[in-house]
Order: sequence, then C-alpha cells, then structure tokens
Amino acid sequence: MGRNLGLENLTKRFGTLTAVDHVNLEVEEGEFICFLGPSGCGKTTVLRMITGFETVTEGKVIFDGRVINDLIPQKREFGIVFQSYALFPNMTVEENIAFGLKMRKMPKKAIAERVDQMLDLIGLRDWRNLYPAQLSGGQQQRVALVRALAADPKVLLLDEPLSALDAKIRVRLRAEIKRLQQELRKTMIYVTHDQEEALSIADRVVVMEEGRFRQMGRPIDIYRCPASSFVADFVGTSNFFKGRQTGDRVSTGKREFKVSQKSTLSNEEVVLAIRPERIEVFKDGDPYRHLEPSNLIPGRIDVVTFLGAAVRLVINVDGEEVISDVIEKEFEQRQFKQGDEILLYFPPEAFLVYPTKVSVE
Amino acid sequence: MNRAELSRAFTPLLTINTDKAVTWVTAALLLSVLIFFLLYPLVDICRLSFLKEGVFTLKNYITYFSNPRIFRSLTNSLYVSIVTMVITTVLAFFFAYGLTRTTMPGKGVFYTISTFPLIAPTIIQALALILLFGRNGLVTRYLLGTDWNIYGATGIIAGECLYCFPNALFILYITLSAVDTRLDEAAQSLGASSLKTFYKVTLPSAKYGIASAAALVFNLTITDFGIPVVIGGGYSVLATEIVSQVFGMQRFDLGATISVILLIPSIGAFMINYYLTKRSYALISGQARPFLQPSRPFKKWGFTLYCGVICASILLVFATVFLGSFVKTWPYDFSLTLKHFDFPSLGGRAPLWTTFWTSIIKEEPLRSMIAFKYAPIWTSLLVAIVVAVVGASITLLAGYVIEKKKPKGEQVLYTLSVLPAAIPGVVMGLGYVLAFNKPYFYIYGTIWIIIINIIICNFTLGVLSSIANLKQIDKSIEEAAVSLGAGPVSTFTRVVFPLSRVAFLSTATFFFMRAMTTISAVIFLISAEIKLAAIEIIFLDVDGRTASANAMCTVVVLIVIGVLVVMRFTTGKSGLTGMGSSN
Repeated sequence: MGRNLGLENLTKRFGTLTAVDHVNLEVEEGEFICFLGPSGCGKTTVLRMITGFETVTEGKVIFDGRVINDLIPQKREFGIVFQSYALFPNMTVEENIAFGLKMRKMPKKAIAERVDQMLDLIGLRDWRNLYPAQLSGGQQQRVALVRALAADPKVLLLDEPLSALDAKIRVRLRAEIKRLQQELRKTMIYVTHDQEEALSIADRVVVMEEGRFRQMGRPIDIYRCPASSFVADFVGTSNFFKGRQTGDRVSTGKREFKVSQKSTLSNEEVVLAIRPERIEVFKDGDPYRHLEPSNLIPGRIDVVTFLGAAVRLVINVDGEEVISDVIEKEFEQRQFKQGDEILLYFPPEAFLVYPTKVSVE
Repeated sequence: MNRAELSRAFTPLLTINTDKAVTWVTAALLLSVLIFFLLYPLVDICRLSFLKEGVFTLKNYITYFSNPRIFRSLTNSLYVSIVTMVITTVLAFFFAYGLTRTTMPGKGVFYTISTFPLIAPTIIQALALILLFGRNGLVTRYLLGTDWNIYGATGIIAGECLYCFPNALFILYITLSAVDTRLDEAAQSLGASSLKTFYKVTLPSAKYGIASAAALVFNLTITDFGIPVVIGGGYSVLATEIVSQVFGMQRFDLGATISVILLIPSIGAFMINYYLTKRSYALISGQARPFLQPSRPFKKWGFTLYCGVICASILLVFATVFLGSFVKTWPYDFSLTLKHFDFPSLGGRAPLWTTFWTSIIKEEPLRSMIAFKYAPIWTSLLVAIVVAVVGASITLLAGYVIEKKKPKGEQVLYTLSVLPAAIPGVVMGLGYVLAFNKPYFYIYGTIWIIIINIIICNFTLGVLSSIANLKQIDKSIEEAAVSLGAGPVSTFTRVVFPLSRVAFLSTATFFFMRAMTTISAVIFLISAEIKLAAIEIIFLDVDGRTASANAMCTVVVLIVIGVLVVMRFTTGKSGLTGMGSSN
C-alpha cells in the first residue's frame, strides 16, 4: 500500500461562514488530483488545510496512516507551488532551489548535484545565477516548480500555479507539469478555476461548489455525465431548458422534448442540459425525416464564432439562445452563415435531466 | 508501543509548540520591554502627581491652578501651539499645492530643502533667530538699530513654524498627490473658475489631511522643549516649566503634575492625527493620474516665488548658524575663525574614544581638543550608533510579530508601540528619573538608560515604517520558506530580513538622526560623566557662549548629513524618504 493522503469530514469555518463543509477524499500515491471550482468555492482552503497553513475546524487530514492536523507545515514535507511564484527575490535561481535542501541539512555536495538535476529537468541550466526579477513569469514558475520538487516532497500541492501567466505559456507549462508528474510519479494536488486546465491535466477531477465536493471522477466521466446542472454548467458549456417531466416527455411550455431518462414521477420540475456538440444542425433538404419529430426545432443562425477546430453557432430559437458547435470540416462543407434558417435536432439520449430542487451530492 | 511509534505520537505536539513558542516568547519580551520602559515611568508620574504619603489628593493640581505664575504656562503653551498650528498648516498646504498641482520648476530641490529641519536639533531654529533678531541680532541691532527683539512668544512661534514645517508638509504632500486631479479638471470643464474649484473641490477633498497635519503640528509644538528654552526668555510653557520645577525648585511632584496636564493635549492631538491620517490614506487610490496641465504663468511663477521664499528661510537658518560658528564676534566682527570649535571644557567622559583619539593624534592642542573636549560628541555618536542598530532591529522585529504573526494580544503590543509618539519627551525623561533613579537599578546613570530612552521615545515611527514595509512582502514568500522546511528563525533571518534591508537602513538612519538631535527626554538623564552634544548646545547657550553653541550645532548637523550621504549611496535612496518625524 502506498502513502495515501486522505481527507475525512474535513471542515473549515471562518466565524459563521462555512468555507469547507465535511469533505471526504482518498488520494492514491502517484495520483494527479485537480480541485476545480469557481472562486470562493473553498478549493484553496482545502489545499491550505492540507499544507498546514490553515487550521482544521473539524475532521481530519490523514497522511500515510496518521492524522496530521496539528503537524506544522515544515514537518509535513509537502512541496507547494504558489500562484504568485513566491520565489525569494534576494536569491538567485540556484539559491532558491537549494534553499529547501539547506533547510533540511543536506550535505553541500549533494545539494549541488540535486540543483543541477533540477535545473536539467526544466532546461534552465544557464539561468542558475540569475535573480527571479530577471526571468519571465513562465521561467519563474518553472523554477518555483523544481524548488518545490528539489527536496523530494511526499506530495506536491499547486495553488493556481498558472493563473498569472499568458494563455500560450499556460498551455505549454501545463504540459510540462503533466510530463514531470508522469516521470516522477509524484502525488500532486492541483487547484484551479480553469475547467479546461483541470480536464486536460488530472487523473481525477474534484468539482467543488460552496465548500462541498459536487462530483469527482475521471475528466471524461465528469464531462460526459455531470452529476448536477452546476457541474454541467461549470465544466464545459451546456444549453439549459427548464421544464416539467412526465415519463419520457419534458414540457418546457413552448415545446415538448423526448428524453431517454425516464421519470417515475409525474409533472416533476426539471432542468435539461445538452452539450453544444451534441446538437445536430440541418438545413432544408437534409435527410432528417426519420428523426424524433418533437425534438426537431427551427431556428436562425445569429452569430458565427470561429473557435479553431470547431465553429460555434449561436442560434435564435423563438427568442431563446441555443449554442451549437460543429466541427470545422463540417462547417466548411455545409456552408452555414449568419441569418440562415435551419433545423436543430436534440437527440433524446443527449439530454441530461436534473431535478430542480434537490442538489446532488 | 515501540520508540518509533512513541516519537511519532509526540512529534506533532512538540513541533507545533516550538513554532508558536518562538512567536510567543518574542511577543512577550517586546511587551515586557514596553511595559517596563514606557508604561511604568508614566504610571510613576501619575502616582506622584496624585498621591501624597500614599493618600490620593488633588493638592498638586490645586497648587498648579491657583498659582498664576505657573498656571500661565498652560495658557502660554496653548496660545503658542494654536498659532503655530494655523500658520504652519497654511504655509505647508500651499507649498504642497505648489509641489503637486502646478508645473513650477525645481520641485525636487524645493522638496529636499523643505526636509532640512528634520536633520538638526530643534534649537537650531532658535539659535538662528537669535543671531538674526536677538538682542545682538544682525537684523535688529546691526541693520535696523532697534531695541525690539524676538525673545518670547514670537520667537517660539517663528522657531516652531520652521521646525514643524516638513512634518506638516509630508502629510499634506501625500494627501494632495493622492486626491485625483481629474476631479479638479472635471470641475473646471463644467465651468467652475479656478478659485471656485479650489474651494469646492480641492480643499474639501484634502480636509482629513489638513486636519491631521494641524493636529501633528499642535502635538509637536506643545511637546517641544529645545526652542522655548533657548528663545522663550521669561515666557514659560508647559515643557520648560516641568524642567524648571524639577531642576530649579526640586519640586518633582509639581513637575509630575504639569506632565500629566501636558499629556492631555498632546495625547489628544496625537490621537486626532493618527485617526485622521488613517482616514486620509484610505482615500488614496492606486490610479495613475494624467499629466498636469501646464499652469498659467501667474500661478506658476507665483508658486515658485512662494516656495522659494520658504526654502530660503529654511536655508537661512542653517547658513546663519554655520556662519555664526565660524566668525569671530557676531555681528560686529565677521573675520573667520575656528576658535569656537575648541569648546570650553565641558566635562563628561568618553573613555573608549579618548583612548582611541589619543593613540592616533599626537600634536597638542588638537589632541586634547578632540580626545577630551569633544567627549560629548563622541558619546552622542556612540549612543546614536547603538540606538540606530538596536532601535531598527527591535522595531523590525516588533513590526514582524504584529503584522505577520498576529499572536494573541497583538492589539496591546500595537497600541503600546504606537503610544510613544504621543508622549512628550520631557515627560518621558521625568518618568525615567522617577521610575529608575534607584540604587538597585544599576543602568541608571549609564549611557544605557539614555539609549533605551531614545529607542522607546522613537519606537512609533520605527514600528509603523516596519509594518508598512512588511505589508509589501507577499505572504506566499514566507509560506514558501516554511513549506521548504525553514523554521520561524530561519524564515526571518534568511528571507524576511534580507527583503527588509532598505527599510531597515532607513529606520536605522531615522533612529540615528533622532539620537543625535534629541534634547527633551535625555536632558533628565545626562550626568557630569555622560554628556551629549545636542544638550551641550543648550548649556553653552545658557552660559552665554552662543558662538560655541552654534559650533556644536554645526558639528551635530555635519555628522547627520555625513550619515545621510553614506545611506544615500548604500541604499540608492534618500534616508529621509518617508520619514515624517515625531516628537
């Protein structure tokens, strides 16, 4: 059995405000976990309780079989990477990386070797004598990353490490972190509010809202089967319709959709969610006669936005906005343009149905 | 349970305690230093003023208020302070306005010159005014041939205005730079005239700054001792009355009573200043302001002339005292001489320095002059160096504990740290005599009590500037150090301290300046053996050796300027940046 990190009913209250509310998690050694949630959802507070910078109000942080709630941060031997890099401005790159090793009383020679090894890891050997202020943001964060890794921490905790960087560098560094994690098989816990980042980097994603874990699982499962309308909205893009469900029919007032998920209740208030890429778009003359007629709705293309591999169409359906993504190749062939009158098809199996009232744990 | 398990079970307990313990012990030490060297002397003063043979009595207060000659010191103090407050605030406001709202030339030079009064003992103002307008004043006697002279309230007010000017200017300058000039422009674009804009927009938006500057000037004036003692003549104010009751009449109880009376307006003014400064700074926005519109020629040159006249007056003070220390007989014989620098034997010893100087200087009379007669200067220098290093370190530490560690009772530590600026120096000095002049308190009568006194009296500014500096260090930087395994001590010495180096040096410079120039508190603590340069200026002047007093003042100013120049080169910043002085 590896050295697992566990959270048991972990709770943090600031006065009357509950920032983290009885959360539970088991992290395997070598696993890459991402906490994803909007700002103020408590994800950073969970991370800070794991690091020891925030006290625990209730519950336990467990590492390697023992409760570490009261262990001071420097004894936890967890590496931390901060959003603001937090490099020591009065020390060179080399001194920054060596700091933790010196503090842990490693012999001088071993420190020098380890620093070289770390610099090679990020390809910054030539920069060893520069000060942080002489490096770009991306370079600084790479130094911060290996500084945290140098002392071979048991767990690496990353608090929005890429949020302060430009989009392009963010993507490159993301790949680098993933590569390092796979090479070193290091347990990493990564906090971000960027769903694309979380989905692309983690083995497992924990979606947080209002201090609770709303869903955890592999990125693809979270994307395909969001456990609640919140997750469906926060992770990726979804179209939502409010309505009332009876059996396999959902009435939204103006129209009635057929859905695959049947309900045993009658006239239950629900929210329907559907991903933009699951909606099909037809022009007059296309072969759509065999499809479920109640799920075919006419509309007009209002806005065409080029996203790169896909093209996003904003479609006006009786004054409501519906978003549909078509892949670029198809867009080219079908020659959609603004103002086109089209038919939208919502496949019954593509609808996710959520009850309005109860929130899903 | 085997040993490994046992140690595992106990480590969390042990480690968390040592970490907290370091903070706790530091906070407790700082707190006890402040309680013992700040609160205890104050309590002793109150005790003496209210108790007679262990019984509570208001007898001292009745004596004070029923004796018109002594009672006058209160009304005199209030009169002088209020007039100074009004004049200085108005003068400084328009000076600050010129610096921030006009496109007049030479702003940098004006600003630098305006800070000069901070580098000299307050008495320099009085010395210069006497040389120019005294009984044998250059202007009064020599040029005008009149019998009028400046001694008394007029002299005190003129001197205090010059001394308080940079303190008020500092607050008003920040206030006016912070208020958005676009408001002015908006008002003008809506058709308001310049004058109307000034009254309706500029003035109201700076009201907190103006009131806080006024309160500071009031506090500085009512607590000052150096200027009134030299130029006051028979005009007694509270601060001089305390000293004369204690030294002249040996009436410690009356001295203590007057001290308590003086504490009320000075603490009041300080609290107003403190509260309003916070409010005023809260209005500061980080927004970049657009370029100033070029001022109309009348406004531009009007302000240049105005600021020029004020700077010329400040320079005139320094020039007069410098000149006064180099000429044979002011104002009759202006031939140059160095004889005033060969001070009359002042007494006082500085054994270490004497040994040092006698070993390197062989020829007389230079040898005895430097090695023996300059003893007060060397003592002052030693005191100033120790005060600078210890004062800057202890206030940095206090700031660190207050700002970053926030232990329980941090509010108490903060309040006590800020309190010294409210306490008049004379009161602190008397408090030290009452509290520590006891046989078993063996550092009394040594330079150590002087060093402690100066550090405590100037604690406020050190702590406030240390807190301001520490606020700028990102919290994550410390957390990074901790997560990499650094304990509280390593975090402080390896990360926090190196990042505070510039702030530390500038606080050290401030402490050095204060130690070289302070008079009011330490006048109670010097002895026949231990004398200080700044105090000797007063004694020389009282002895009628005005030229030597000027020379001593010149030496003190030159030493301070020397240190400022060195600091400027080591930090690349002027040591005066951000240093509004307190009493």
